[in-house]
Amino acid sequence: MRLPITGVGAVASIGRDADEIFESLCAGRGGLGPMRGFDHDLYNGTRLFEIDDRPESGRDRTMRATGFLLEAVGQAAEAAGLGEDLSDYPVLVGTGLRELRSAELWWRDGVPFGAEQLHFGTALRERFGTADTHTFSNACSASLYTLALGADMLALGEADAVIVAGVDSITESMFGLADRVQPEPPPALRTLDVNRKGTILGDGAAAVVLRREDIPWSGGRLWGRLRGVGMTCDAKHPTAPDQEQVAEAIRQAHRHAGTRPSDIDLLMLHGTGTPLNDLVEASAYVEVFGEDAGVPVVTGIKPMTGHTSGSAGLLSLVVALQTMATGKVPPLIGLEEPIEQAAGLRLVRDEEAKHQVSLAQVHGFGFGGINAVAIVEAP
Amino acid sequence: MRIFITGVGVALPGADSTAALAAARQPGEPVEPAAVLGKKGLRYKDRATQLGLVAGQRVLTDAGLLSDGELTTDSTRVAVLVSSNLGNVDTVCRVARTIADEGTRGLSPMDTPNASSNIIASEIAIRFKLHGPNLMVCNGPTSGLDAVRWGAALLRSGRADQAVVVGVEPDNEIVRELVGGPVADGGAALVLERADVAEARGATVHAELGGHTRGARVADNFAQLAAGEPDALVGWFAPGTAAGSLPSELSGHDLTETWGELSGALGVVQCAAAIGGFGSRTGGPVFLAAGGDDDDGSAALVLRPAPTASEPVAV
Repeated sequence: MRLPITGVGAVASIGRDADEIFESLCAGRGGLGPMRGFDHDLYNGTRLFEIDDRPESGRDRTMRATGFLLEAVGQAAEAAGLGEDLSDYPVLVGTGLRELRSAELWWRDGVPFGAEQLHFGTALRERFGTADTHTFSNACSASLYTLALGADMLALGEADAVIVAGVDSITESMFGLADRVQPEPPPALRTLDVNRKGTILGDGAAAVVLRREDIPWSGGRLWGRLRGVGMTCDAKHPTAPDQEQVAEAIRQAHRHAGTRPSDIDLLMLHGTGTPLNDLVEASAYVEVFGEDAGVPVVTGIKPMTGHTSGSAGLLSLVVALQTMATGKVPPLIGLEEPIEQAAGLRLVRDEEAKHQVSLAQVHGFGFGGINAVAIVEAP
Repeated sequence: MRIFITGVGVALPGADSTAALAAARQPGEPVEPAAVLGKKGLRYKDRATQLGLVAGQRVLTDAGLLSDGELTTDSTRVAVLVSSNLGNVDTVCRVARTIADEGTRGLSPMDTPNASSNIIASEIAIRFKLHGPNLMVCNGPTSGLDAVRWGAALLRSGRADQAVVVGVEPDNEIVRELVGGPVADGGAALVLERADVAEARGATVHAELGGHTRGARVADNFAQLAAGEPDALVGWFAPGTAAGSLPSELSGHDLTETWGELSGALGVVQCAAAIGGFGSRTGGPVFLAAGGDDDDGSAALVLRPAPTASEPVAV
């Protein structure tokens, strides 16, 4: 499978489009700041990776996630030359938290909100005239899981092109429940560091236009090709990850892609900065890659974007495509002393590295033990 | 690839089988998960998850995939798809209110898993040890039929041999206010299976999936699927908003008249009800619609009665 990716879009705390985000990442510029929508007095932690789009600090508004999604989809569609009328294209959206932040505001403050706004199809139809849209709520691996479904649709001949997107805005319930068990909130998100103290949430959205490989296309530019996506389920614990099925997702991705670990030039980590995720992820990676674990350069975006939940995997994939286009690999900032399990890995630290990337592996793992791994190749 | 429905589970108030579902005229007593599953492990699970587990247990049992509570098939080849729009809305809203009133000190960490909407799908996987693709579909009015479609897609793409498709919605104060009326407080489940796999293990076939589509207009969807179906459609299932666009000379069913708001459970309950109908009368394929012209899209699916014994299963 070699599905052309012909347009990308993204929005995050560190940039309003994919180029701005990549520029920030390469410069080591993170988006962590004082939280703008939630009351500081109610929480231990008061810093998040938010997109600064609220009318005034301290006052929240509804439908922010929907806005981020429309922005990212609009960017990708325009870049791919599809325009604003997307009635012929399926749009598949992966999300962890849907528009649940608006539901919170509705219940707590009585602001207007309807059940038809919980999923994203309503807004997508209004803006782009779509009729075949799907919202998948698959926690933090949502957008890569969704990418697999989009790829399968093309392989089955059900569409000539699909738009795959991921989006999340932080909910107070998710942030609050994490805050409840963190009397000392993590001062930074430090992927793979021995002193990592946990994850910090972020807002974000990403979108790609994916096409069938056997039909000629025009418009947009070839960013890369999707080779395969693996997806598994731990079926073990509602929140803690399991090495066995994480490793299996990596193996499955390579089976789908027809590639071997030694082919990979770049690994984009899920790297949430929680003690357990980073341990399990590094261990599973080393388990599968064995003596090839030192071949790819290894990085991740979350120390600078925060954990953008359902959008995180696709955002990482967009960044991987940009490393292919530029030869620049953003660093894992805040990584001072890597964990033992990451010894021997070619970690990109402190500042951007120069590296020619032909094949990249992208990780996304989520609550419920749902794991997705994608492999993309350079044009 | 032909796809069969080889298991059906029903978990609605007063209806625990397709026959009871087909005969029901009004909801009965609420589903009691502890009576079906035992009390163990249910304490911190939200209502939607408990309902999903009941439907899951019934459907796997009906499909002959459980023996003494253990799965009898390759667990890595079983996908789980759950459709629910309202599943964890109550937890999320309640937690936000508690934070406003008491700060995060007032929260119970036991709510943490339920803050993620995919809790139903992951708990079903955990209970029955299903390692295949695990998908939570929260796609509005069409969600149940969409979940059936994606279940079929996972089989067609070779990612699974069986797909457990569940649709459930809980009833509580918060979701009643959001949708403006009582919610079904239950749902249904299906096992979709590749025809060759079903035949090899001698599974009982309840129905076969026909065509599916998703478009802006119910009438267009009907015309498209009717044209592609070898046999004439003999009936339809559709909610009030879509029923007006369908031929009145065919036998029509609006399940929301009996069960109230079915939301993300609708499409799956429609499949179960149609199968209940196949059992009690001879007939041909039926058309199922979820979502109307005023919604963000309308999903449609044709369900065919099981092939008769004399008909060879061409795979």
